Amino acid sequence: MGSAAPGDAAGRTELASAPSLPALFARAAVTARGRGGDLPTTRLARTGVRADQQQLAGYARVCGFGLSDVLPPTFPHVLAFPLQVALMSDRAFPLALPGLVHVRNRIDALRPIGTGEALDLEVWAERFARHRSGATVDLCASVSADGAEVWRGRSTYLARGATPPDGAPEAEVTVEVGDVPDGTIRWLVDGDTGRRYAKVSGDVNPIHLSGLTAKAFGFKRAIAHGMWVAARALAALEGRLPAAASVDVAFRKPLFLPSTVTLATAEVGGGWDLAVRNADTGAEHLLGTVRPR
Amino acid sequence: MTRKAAIVGGNRIPFARSGSAYARASNQDMLTATLDGLVARFGLQGVQLGEVVAGAVLKHSRDFNLTRESVLGSQLAARTPAYDVQQACGTGLEAAVLVANKIALGQIESGIAGGVDTTSDAPLAVNDDLRRVLLQVASARTVQQRLKALAGLRPGQVVPDLPRNAEPRTGLSMGEHAAVTARQWEIGRAEQDELAVASHRNLAAAYDRGFFDDLVTPYLGLTRDENLRPDSNVEKLAALGPVFGGEDGTMTAGNSTPLSDGASAVLLASDEWAAARDLPVLAHLVDAQTAAVDHVHGGEGLLMAPVHATPVLLARNGLSLQDFDFYEIHEAFASTVLATLKAWEDPAFCKEKLGLDVPLGAVDRSKLNVNGSSLAAGHPFAATGGRIVAALAKQLHEAGPGKRGLISICAAGGQGVVAILES
Amino acid sequence: MTQPIPEDDLIVSDWYRDFTNSGVGATLTKRLGLPRPAVLRRHEPGAPLLPGPAVVGTAGEGRLRDPLTAVLKDAGVTLLSPVTADGGTDGERTAAVLLDATGLRTPADLAAAHDFLAPALRRLAPSGRVLVLAEPPSEAADPAQAAARQALEGLVRSTAKELRGGATANLLLVPDGAEGGLAGPVRFFLSGRSAYVDGQVVTLTAAGATDGQDDDRPLAGKVAVVTGAARGIGAAIARVLARDGAHVVVVDLPAAGQALAGVANEVGGTALQLDITAPDAPERLVGHLRERHGGVDVVVHNAGITRDKLLVNMDAARWNAVMAVNLQAQLDLTQALLDADGLLRPGGRVVCVSSQSGIAGNRGQTNYAASKAGVIGMVRAWAPALAERGATINAVAPGFIVTEMTARMPFGTREIGSRINSLQQGGLPVDVAETVAWLAQPESTGVNGQVVRVCGQSFLGA
Repeated sequence: MGSAAPGDAAGRTELASAPSLPALFARAAVTARGRGGDLPTTRLARTGVRADQQQLAGYARVCGFGLSDVLPPTFPHVLAFPLQVALMSDRAFPLALPGLVHVRNRIDALRPIGTGEALDLEVWAERFARHRSGATVDLCASVSADGAEVWRGRSTYLARGATPPDGAPEAEVTVEVGDVPDGTIRWLVDGDTGRRYAKVSGDVNPIHLSGLTAKAFGFKRAIAHGMWVAARALAALEGRLPAAASVDVAFRKPLFLPSTVTLATAEVGGGWDLAVRNADTGAEHLLGTVRPR
Repeated sequence: MTRKAAIVGGNRIPFARSGSAYARASNQDMLTATLDGLVARFGLQGVQLGEVVAGAVLKHSRDFNLTRESVLGSQLAARTPAYDVQQACGTGLEAAVLVANKIALGQIESGIAGGVDTTSDAPLAVNDDLRRVLLQVASARTVQQRLKALAGLRPGQVVPDLPRNAEPRTGLSMGEHAAVTARQWEIGRAEQDELAVASHRNLAAAYDRGFFDDLVTPYLGLTRDENLRPDSNVEKLAALGPVFGGEDGTMTAGNSTPLSDGASAVLLASDEWAAARDLPVLAHLVDAQTAAVDHVHGGEGLLMAPVHATPVLLARNGLSLQDFDFYEIHEAFASTVLATLKAWEDPAFCKEKLGLDVPLGAVDRSKLNVNGSSLAAGHPFAATGGRIVAALAKQLHEAGPGKRGLISICAAGGQGVVAILES
Repeated sequence: MTQPIPEDDLIVSDWYRDFTNSGVGATLTKRLGLPRPAVLRRHEPGAPLLPGPAVVGTAGEGRLRDPLTAVLKDAGVTLLSPVTADGGTDGERTAAVLLDATGLRTPADLAAAHDFLAPALRRLAPSGRVLVLAEPPSEAADPAQAAARQALEGLVRSTAKELRGGATANLLLVPDGAEGGLAGPVRFFLSGRSAYVDGQVVTLTAAGATDGQDDDRPLAGKVAVVTGAARGIGAAIARVLARDGAHVVVVDLPAAGQALAGVANEVGGTALQLDITAPDAPERLVGHLRERHGGVDVVVHNAGITRDKLLVNMDAARWNAVMAVNLQAQLDLTQALLDADGLLRPGGRVVCVSSQSGIAGNRGQTNYAASKAGVIGMVRAWAPALAERGATINAVAPGFIVTEMTARMPFGTREIGSRINSLQQGGLPVDVAETVAWLAQPESTGVNGQVVRVCGQSFLGA
């Protein structure tokens, strides 16, 4: 974080460029031990960020979005993610980044965002909560354009075995979804899906990249990025999503690579209920809702 | 005031099983041969027609102008314009509708509608990543740029993508979709097998009585549809294992259409044009309707769109489903035909999905696919429409004036094309 | 891939003829005393009727000299006087020698024929034509006249065998009252169309004069049907009829449809896939002709099959199949065409393809020969009825014609078959087709109930 500008009164630090994710992951790994305490109040920010058109095209292709002049609703997450990782890899962050599991993600897309718009990003951590198998923390992001907020994200991560501070609230990791019938949409999820998504999102978490690296973190095989699953599901509904929407998805069983899964959709109240399930076992990988705002 | 387009006649080549008699023939080869057969039948050598409209579902990029190139290679006048259409399995019928509409509007006096498909000579796509790299290489201006682009290649990218017969948005094959519908409508195995046997029997009988003598021209040594099994029976079909819908599925290789190669063409014209050349008018194309269903998110059957198109067509023409002498329901799968019939009879479905107070009702099965259909003949996707239009027109002509026939063809993408012919 | 293979490519080349007409080959075959088959003069549209002058002689007081001269002059033929032909040394070689022998009264008059022919033939050019015109012996006034007339047949047939260089000799019998129909047959026998017709006798019948015809497109505006037209002789007939101006409906089995469509497109005709032995075949053919053409002018029954076996070994299937296609279908289709009111237009022409086997018989072909002989009987029996409607029915009997079928014969059989005729070579499908097309012409109205062999004067059954 050598390029960090001086922090302001609210603990806000503005970065001039996106931090290098592989470096952050590496640093987080070597500094994983001996963490604890409360969440930092630091907020990391960047201003005037524009989507890299080549990255955007790659992202759209990997996730199944069509290329248009509007950002996919999940793309701001990719823009904010490096800042979130920077926050989590800092020694002040109480939980070890390696081994964090993405269990829930909420997005409020307040209006469509043009691909050429200059965006101001701000990320922070909050809600250190108690979970039956550890603790969760929410990594939040706010994206503004011309001074008005256009997108909000809240990613909930689970740290198994971690201890939350006393008096921490109960974790909220479930998403209420109505009865979604068997899906007629089937995806053959290839073995290199993790690597492909890592390339376009920058999320090079080793558990997604290969069987070998995943085993090092206790997974029998590489698993798909939760945000890829979510993005792919939203992409399947492209053209049918409300212009302003709240998306709430819970990541359930890991989606091992390769797999065949089904996507079930049910129209609810102008939005959708979603379920991504294993085509063979029926195990739920993702449950989610999309509601108009 | 518009006029109705006349169906003068048709021609097709026998349909071959994939990788068999036509394994070395391209779409253009087959379409050209089919056009030439039609030209020979009606003495159209050197004749300039209004237009030729045809298409293929599986198409090479080099075939961007498939129909025009076929016309140029045929005995038709080189000044006959042409264009390609593609509406999956609806291509052939849609092409006929397009030609008929231009005739009806007086924009042209004559035209040929057709379709062709080969699963033997299908395009083989390179892996998407490789394709992008190759495109970069092709557009690179310097050797260095080229090498840089090629350096990005990895071994896994050099594997070609085999064409998947899958719906792009669902990843399910057509058969798997049909299996979902079959289960939904509780279509039994036995009735599917019976329908398949009837198809073979009817097609064989039609060949034997010479019905196809002026509808089919042999090609590359094939004189009848290769898939035809005149000795097909329910016992033989019952022995086949399911191929779609899992272990307890009801759909087998016997009651599903095989991958096929073939082409068809239909000659349409104004009555005046036909009369001036002493050509017959077998029937008129009265009206047509297309519809689509939401098979992706709407919970509707992929191949059930004709069910929706038909009541619209009937209402516009003041007809009931029973006002027909013949029905041609394309047998993509036996279960598709049976689910279609069942849906039309189902009061709840007709009320909720079709908005009808009274269900459309039953179809007299003795009037259904009387000369066989796709289960026996095979189904080269875009060629099926032309096969049906020509055969039904002839059947109506043989039955005498004032006879009416209904065509129903389901298509990928949740689409359906239906049409009315009248002699 | 959709283009039919041109017929010429299918024909095995006559290696022997080509060889013997080559420099070395010519010398060699001459020394060995082997026959040297000539390259026949065949019809080419636009070419003059004869490549050189003709000479016309008489035996007795003939009545055809004037009409004959008129026909030749109409056709632009230069006539030489017999004297020049006889003794002159400056005269060019003649392309045709015609003898009007209608004046014969007794065998003694034949001496005049000899006196004229002997010197004339000496001056005959290669592919020359000898045509003797006479009256039928059956209509002679007395036995002596009948003898004289019949003698001509021996004279002509023997002359045909003596001629070399592709020259032919034929006899045209012109009864009293048949002069009006003279032009067409005379032109045919002089032209390249009759290249492989040799040693034949054709008898004209009295018929009304025709309006004349455009000799380059004598069938213009006519609708012709040819069965068995997908390949071989049938395809050649379709081509020649189309060349002569007809719209040709080519008919063959549905299974032969691809080749049939190729022929139809080549000749600008229409293809009709039809099994002529099907019970409803006559009805369908009649319906097709009525609907699409309103009628028909020329019907060529060419479709035929062979199922060879010695009679003692022949099963019923072989017998029946050959009879059904070669004979019964011709009967049924012709009857249906005649029954269909007005379908066979005035001046209609029915031409039936018979065979040399039907005349001479052939070992292993009892069924085929029977069917082809039957055709001859049918033609003769129907001729009067057709004459009443101003129509004709005739048969052509091909000899050894080089086709795909003969190409598959054993070498020896094929070589012998192709040499045992006066022209010392096999005929081509086009030779049969030219004869069919001639019989189909408007000016062939006086030719009815005839069997014209296209065999190069085959030694079989002669």
